[in-house]
Amino acid sequence: MHISMNELKAALRRCFEACGYFVGNYEDAANMVLWLEKHGLNGLNELEQALPYITQFCDRPLSTVVYEDSTSAIIDSHDRSSLNCIAASVDLAHAKALENGIATITVHNCHNRMFILKALTDCGRRGISVAAYWQSGNETVTEHSAAIRADERYPSYSEAITSLPANTDVKALTIICSSRVDLTTSLQKSRGNIDARHISPAQIADNKNQSVEQGINVNEALWAEINRIGSAVLVENTRQSQLEAGGR
Amino acid sequence: MTTPAVIQTSLKGKNALPLRPASQVMDLERLGALHQSRLSFMRTTVRHIMRERWQIEPSRFELDADGYGTVVYEVQAPHGLFSFVLFSDYLSPEERNDRVIATQWDLTMALVEGQVDDIYLQKLRENVPKQEAGRVDARVFVLSRANRSARNFDYVVDQLAKGEQPATDKIAKVGYLYRTTAVYGSGKLGMADWEKVRTKHKDFARPFAGEMFVCLMLRNFSLLQVEHIAHHKSPDNFQPMAAEIKRFFGIGNSTGLGMAPYMVNHPLLLNQWIEMRELALARVRVLGRINDSIRQQLNALITRCAQYTRDTYTEDQWQTANNEQLLKDLAALHTQTSASVTSWDELLNWSEENCSLECQELLVSVLLELYPDLVDDLEDYQNAEEFLDLDPVMPLQQLKDVIETRYSWALSTDFDKDGALETCWYRSEEKMEPRLGSIADKEARQKQMALGVGYAVRKCYNQLCEYMGDNGTHNTARFMVARPKMRGIVRRIQSMNRCVYGDIQANLLDRNVLPMHLLRCKLAFFGVGKFDPRSRLWVRNTMFQGAPLLEDIGQPFNDDWFMPLAPKQ
Repeated sequence: MHISMNELKAALRRCFEACGYFVGNYEDAANMVLWLEKHGLNGLNELEQALPYITQFCDRPLSTVVYEDSTSAIIDSHDRSSLNCIAASVDLAHAKALENGIATITVHNCHNRMFILKALTDCGRRGISVAAYWQSGNETVTEHSAAIRADERYPSYSEAITSLPANTDVKALTIICSSRVDLTTSLQKSRGNIDARHISPAQIADNKNQSVEQGINVNEALWAEINRIGSAVLVENTRQSQLEAGGR
Repeated sequence: MTTPAVIQTSLKGKNALPLRPASQVMDLERLGALHQSRLSFMRTTVRHIMRERWQIEPSRFELDADGYGTVVYEVQAPHGLFSFVLFSDYLSPEERNDRVIATQWDLTMALVEGQVDDIYLQKLRENVPKQEAGRVDARVFVLSRANRSARNFDYVVDQLAKGEQPATDKIAKVGYLYRTTAVYGSGKLGMADWEKVRTKHKDFARPFAGEMFVCLMLRNFSLLQVEHIAHHKSPDNFQPMAAEIKRFFGIGNSTGLGMAPYMVNHPLLLNQWIEMRELALARVRVLGRINDSIRQQLNALITRCAQYTRDTYTEDQWQTANNEQLLKDLAALHTQTSASVTSWDELLNWSEENCSLECQELLVSVLLELYPDLVDDLEDYQNAEEFLDLDPVMPLQQLKDVIETRYSWALSTDFDKDGALETCWYRSEEKMEPRLGSIADKEARQKQMALGVGYAVRKCYNQLCEYMGDNGTHNTARFMVARPKMRGIVRRIQSMNRCVYGDIQANLLDRNVLPMHLLRCKLAFFGVGKFDPRSRLWVRNTMFQGAPLLEDIGQPFNDDWFMPLAPKQ
């Protein structure tokens, strides 16, 4: 089914609002999914995987700062989705980088880390370079990195299937942020990596141009599910409610 | 020449022009007293069409004797070719409904990139008349629909069929043949997103330019259609409508609550519109040379505004009282300006001390009319990149100072007062229509939209003060990790602090809030006139009254259709 980006954003906002995300967070979450989809990085597939757990993520404790000094911090996200917690971690990295030139934040117990790309891109647009690295998978471990230079609009992204043994901390994410150094990442061609793929900022820009030109195609069942969840923010259409509408 | 740097130095810093303060300009009641101006989007759209001599010709004209069928216009603008596609269908009087929940209309329309072939037209035919129940693709960038003003329409057809002209005093009362009931853009129903329009279709890359163009085309079609029907009705007696009477027809518009959330949810865009209007006023205040010719124009415009106000028909008591007061104020203003005007600053100060808000803001619009050279180039700066960015490094003391300075109106609002939090804005399951309810309705309260900016600022301020007790040296990023629920409002506070005007200064949750002010503010930026509130929740108005006709394109154009008066008969 063909939809516009604006329709997707509005539906996602209602969906996340209905799931109990706060004002500010539901806009962030919608923008994170949309950003991936718009830039050809399968945001809707990522969302589809997260959707069954989406309400549970809200019931978890808020992120806590486990350790902090002037150039680093460790944050525990308590098994939340990055959709409703990662932006604050990137902001903290951003602030420390502005104050000290470079900063490292490690986030533990965070799901759906792919969504961090939107937050990274916002940093780049605002003159801060950021790189992120994470692994995922319980059996087959994949690794991922993304980076953006200062004042750029598009990041690069790399992913690979590794032959690494399953990690006990597969929900960790490392963010390096700098106001002084331009950071770039690419996964090493290590012996274990297979099917490594690297997407350059130029390719991501091309993907965006295509989405802007043509809109987005969405799986109808997923679209219906997003709207079904979002309908919980709508109020029943009673006779009294009709009197509260503008118009005759 | 105006450039972004010129605008920035005119707005802020040592070389800034004397702008009116945010506390004055962003007051909701004042925003609800705004009038159309040279910078309104209808005016800028028409200026572009006329100055660039757009070629607009029907490429398909298939109307039956009753005016039903399909019409396609090809629009050759400087940067591209577009098609305006219109479907005219029979609608019984009992099915005619202006509410957003309607499902059938007299006319439905689409603005499309490129030429439309038979296959694509059929696709549009299957979807455009359904509006919300249909789907289109990203070639379409505006969809709209309209209903006949039945009495006026039949009357005009009968007059022309008899070989007579419609009476202008009748048109002065209801100045249109059709009312638009919705004009959609920005990606609704599968259409092109604004990002595409802004970057690819430069002819429509100003706010609401495509939407305004569709309304203008609707107006021109309505005139063509009444002549077409009248001609078929009585080929021997038919006379075409006189051009000056045609120009006095606009397009009616019904606007409901939908616009109100838009104003709150697009604060950077609204700020940009206000900044350009206020910058134009500041330019006039400082740079506008006053001579006899200008004084003469000023008095002529004030006289015109008074007549226009007298011609404005409304049954609404509140608006009637406003119009009566405006007429008194305009008389006083005329007396004041007839003596001798030597300084705009003095005249504006006089108006602030002696006139209603409606008159003060009308004077602003009149002053902008006098100096096209100082005003018109600001029309290219009405877009805004709508990033509400968090400033993570801002120290909390600074954030507190920002709230105390920029949101003193919110901190001074007594939210404990009876009724201060009684209103809630929510979306109905019926087409997601925005509605205005009371917190007494539990479901509406729980599901209300986050439009209470003032109250959110107050809560944020309280939490910030409490947090600072133990963490006074922290920055905003650290506060956000500890208080993530505050993320939305903190980001808004910081972003609006970077603007000259910032947020609308009103508690929108108050029992006595008047949504009409929000609607009127946006409609004034669109450029409508003849405000006719039908309740506190919706308003009828007229678009493009006095604007040039399609046949006027290529003819001399002085852009003087501000507050148009009925032609003499």
